[in-house]
Amino acid sequence: MLTGKGILKGLGVTLKRFIDTYLDDLRWWGKRYYTPEGIAHRSSKDAKGVFTIQYPEEKLPVPEEFRYKPFLLYDEGPNGEKNIRCTSCGICAKACPPQCIWIVRGTDPQTGRPVPQPAGFWIDADICMSCGFCAEYCPFDAIKMDHNYEVASYTRNLMDMNELLKPVSYYASIRPLNYAREEEARKAKEAAKAAKGQ
Amino acid sequence: MKEEDLRDLNLPGYEIPPELTGQLAITTLDRIYNFGRRASLWPMMFGLACCAIEMICAQAGRYDMARFGMEVMRPSPRQSDVMIVAGTVTKKMVPAIIRLYNQMPEPKYVVAMGACASGGGPFKEGYNVVAGIDKFLPVDVYIPGCPPTPQALIHGMILLQQKIDKQSIKHVRWYDGKKEDSVAVPVPYLGPDLIDPRRIPEIKAKAAELAAQQQQLAPEQA
Repeated sequence: MLTGKGILKGLGVTLKRFIDTYLDDLRWWGKRYYTPEGIAHRSSKDAKGVFTIQYPEEKLPVPEEFRYKPFLLYDEGPNGEKNIRCTSCGICAKACPPQCIWIVRGTDPQTGRPVPQPAGFWIDADICMSCGFCAEYCPFDAIKMDHNYEVASYTRNLMDMNELLKPVSYYASIRPLNYAREEEARKAKEAAKAAKGQ
Repeated sequence: MKEEDLRDLNLPGYEIPPELTGQLAITTLDRIYNFGRRASLWPMMFGLACCAIEMICAQAGRYDMARFGMEVMRPSPRQSDVMIVAGTVTKKMVPAIIRLYNQMPEPKYVVAMGACASGGGPFKEGYNVVAGIDKFLPVDVYIPGCPPTPQALIHGMILLQQKIDKQSIKHVRWYDGKKEDSVAVPVPYLGPDLIDPRRIPEIKAKAAELAAQQQQLAPEQA
C-alpha cells in the first residue's frame, strides 16, 4: 500500500496543467496571444493550461455589467450641441453611500431662476466605491457606470464635467444590451404619453 | 542584453554603426540610472484590506507583474523600493506604516491603491480611519477603484515607471539632503480614542494618586 497517494495525485494535476499549457501553445501557434480569438479562447472554459494576460498590449474584455467610475451622458443634437441629460435633481448625490458627488444647480443668467441643467458636477474618483447606486437611482438615465479602468493619476483624482461628459453613442458601445432595453422603455413611455394626449 | 533593451537605453541623435548594434549604447547617467530603477521596482509585501487580494492576483501568473520587474515582494522594508498601500488605513495602522516608510531605503515610492488609501473611500469620516495616506506620506500615484482590478493596478505601476523616467539624479529629493522631504516622516499618534503609549507611566502615576486620595477619603465618610 502506497502512502502519500494524494500528494502524487496533486502533483500529477500540476504536471498535466504544465504540459497542457505547451500543447495549447502549439495548437494555437502564434495566435494564442495578441489576437481577439486567442483572448476569447483563453477566457473560455475550453482553455487548457495556464497563461498570462499581456496587459498593456492586450486587455481582457470586461463583461457588460462591469462597473468602474460613473460618467454623465449627453445626447448629441443635430448641430453637434451637447444636450446634457442631467437635470441636477441631486438624487444621485443623496443615494451615494460615500457621498462623493457634488452638484451645482444651474441658473438662468437673465432671470436668475433655476434651470434643469447642472452648472457644475464633480465626482471624487478617489472616494467613489463603484457601487453603481447613482446609475440605479437616476430617473433620467443621465449617469452610468464606465468600463474604463485606466484612471490612475499623479494627483488626487477629482473628475469635473469635462471628464465626466460622454456621448450616448459611447454608452451604447460599452453596454449594448442595457442601452437597447432602456431605449425600448423610453419609446414605449413616449408612445403611451402621445396616446393619452390624443 | 537583447537589442530591444539597448534601443530603449540609447539616446536619440547618436548613430551607432551597424556592426556594433546590440553591443553598445550611448546614453546619459540619468537614463541608465532611471533604467535600473524602473526595471526593478520591488514592492513591499503587505496588504491592509480587500485591495490586497487584487494585488496578490496581479502578482500571480494570470497578470504577472514580473513582466515589469516587480515580481519580488520583499517582506522587509530595507529591501523594497515601492510601497503599495493596498487598503483601508486605520488610525491604529498609520504609525506602523510610517515607520515602515521611514525604514525604506531611498529611492522610495508610495502608490495609494484603491479608494480607501487615496481618499478614505466610504470610511472617509470614520472615527478610526485615516482619510487618505497622502495626509502623511508623499504619494506618487493614486489608483482609484474599489478595489482596482489587477489591470488597473498594473496601469498605475506603469504610470510610476513613466514618472521615474522623467526624473533626474540632480533633482530627486532624496539626494539633496536639505529639502524637507528627505527628512524622516514623524510617526503620528492619532485619535482621542487611542491610548498614547508614551503616556502610560504618567497615567499609572495619576491613577495611583487618585486611588490614594480615595482611600484617605473613605475612612472620613465612614
